[in-house]
Amino acid sequence: MTARSAARSFGAELLPILPGGLWLLVFAVVPFFFLIVMSLWTATVFGIEPEWTLESYRTVFADPVYVLIVLKTLRISLVSTVISLLVSYPLAMFLARMQGRAKAMFLFALFLPFWSSYLVRSFTWLPILGRNGLINHALISAGVMSAPIDALLFDEFAVYVGLVYVYTLFMTLPIYLSLDRLDPALGEAASDLGGRPVQVFRRVTLPLSLPGVWSGCTMVFLLSVGAYVTPSLLGGTSGIMVGNVIAGQFLESNNWPLGAALSVLVIGMVIVSVTLAGMRVGLRQLFLGQGR
Amino acid sequence: MRASGKLLWAYAACFYSLLYLPILVLIVLSFNDAPAIGFPIQGLTTRWYADALAGGQVMQALGNSLSIGIASAALGTLLALATALGLRRSPRWRGVMLPLLLVPIITPGIVSGVLMLVFAGMIGLPYGLWTTAFPAHVTWVLPFAFLTLHPRIEQLDRALEEAAMDLGARPRQVLSHVVLPVLQPALIATVLFSFTVSFDEFVRTLFVIGGARTMPVQLWISLQQHAGPFIPAMGVVIMLISMLVAALGFFISHHASARSLQPQS
Repeated sequence: MTARSAARSFGAELLPILPGGLWLLVFAVVPFFFLIVMSLWTATVFGIEPEWTLESYRTVFADPVYVLIVLKTLRISLVSTVISLLVSYPLAMFLARMQGRAKAMFLFALFLPFWSSYLVRSFTWLPILGRNGLINHALISAGVMSAPIDALLFDEFAVYVGLVYVYTLFMTLPIYLSLDRLDPALGEAASDLGGRPVQVFRRVTLPLSLPGVWSGCTMVFLLSVGAYVTPSLLGGTSGIMVGNVIAGQFLESNNWPLGAALSVLVIGMVIVSVTLAGMRVGLRQLFLGQGR
Repeated sequence: MRASGKLLWAYAACFYSLLYLPILVLIVLSFNDAPAIGFPIQGLTTRWYADALAGGQVMQALGNSLSIGIASAALGTLLALATALGLRRSPRWRGVMLPLLLVPIITPGIVSGVLMLVFAGMIGLPYGLWTTAFPAHVTWVLPFAFLTLHPRIEQLDRALEEAAMDLGARPRQVLSHVVLPVLQPALIATVLFSFTVSFDEFVRTLFVIGGARTMPVQLWISLQQHAGPFIPAMGVVIMLISMLVAALGFFISHHASARSLQPQS
């Protein structure tokens, strides 16, 4: 092959993937450099000055207000991930056992709510958990209580309810896919050899579904770490997460460098969690549900 | 085995009830003839729907959402199609393209919003529906369109293309007469899914849309202003549009895959 025809075939290979690749490079990758630059600029009362400083990072890592909010975000995200896992695993098992038309219907019914805006799905918990919401109304009508309680809304509890409700599909789906791939004969063989159902689950089903568990946990953790809508609608002042603080820097206090530094920190947490999970199951499994 | 199967059925019944309870509550409240959002139900009315859609602002937001949804679904699907076809022919670029495609998915929504806000601010791009929100939507839609199309394109039988080439078709003809017709249902489904991804998008849009509004942004502003009892009705409208479009996409792709799996005799 001559150099010229090699170059031509190289160009022909590159041509179809170039538009998508360039688009992502310009709008998804390059902005990170701008974000990092912004996080290193100086915020003054008069606005943003293009002078290099580490002040914003010093604030993020030394000011207890920001340290605590980051730790709290990590805690809320971890707890939401664990709750999602516990809620989703049995359903994934149920779906994996279904067959034919019934399976397709249950899968469709699982997907349907997730095809609508998470803003709407977060908001609906206000008239369920609120003062004149469904739960208070039901408990009072049933005579369980005489006055409505406020404890259900505008705290961490409401944030957990919202996050788990909004993001559970991202846990159920990968676990279901990994369980669905399992050969039912494996479980049967294990029980034929005398394994009790609990043993079969612990020694056979669970270990083989771990790749799905890891990708589900990673997705829900990522989505929770960056949550903004759910904590602002349901969390009140005690349920605030780092997303709310970042938004505040841009929409209210106009301290872009500090908001950028907090965003860089969130990206750092995302990279660490994706790397840790990726080392266990491989990136392709994590996001595409395929083997290594 | 029996007992555990029954337990799973009972669990699934609870799960699906809780999954649909909030949606049911929203629909019921959208018809509740009461001055404040909440219980008890005081009567039925459809006036909140009239209120929710009244005023030029909401109709404009709806128009914005529909047009940015259609445009970003079209461009996102086109870019995803080219990428997936390109990677099928030259798999050695996968190592570069797959991580690139994952970047928008693993970037948290709030960070994506901030990224575009800072980027546009620093290069001097004015904030608006088409200048900043549209690129943000295409970037968000593209990976989902790719993940929907990619498995279908990988399953494509190479023998079909080889047969067409043996019969003297040039590459361009193979694409337009063989590959695209076979992919047509998958492409339609991808466009429909992509539309809902864009139509439902909120946080990436909020930060960069400037003075313009999409339906979710309009709903958000109404929520912040405690604008009134029409809010559930507005939520139902947003939910119905995306659910209907996505359900249509689901049936088209399900139907197509059921057909392609039938034995050909």
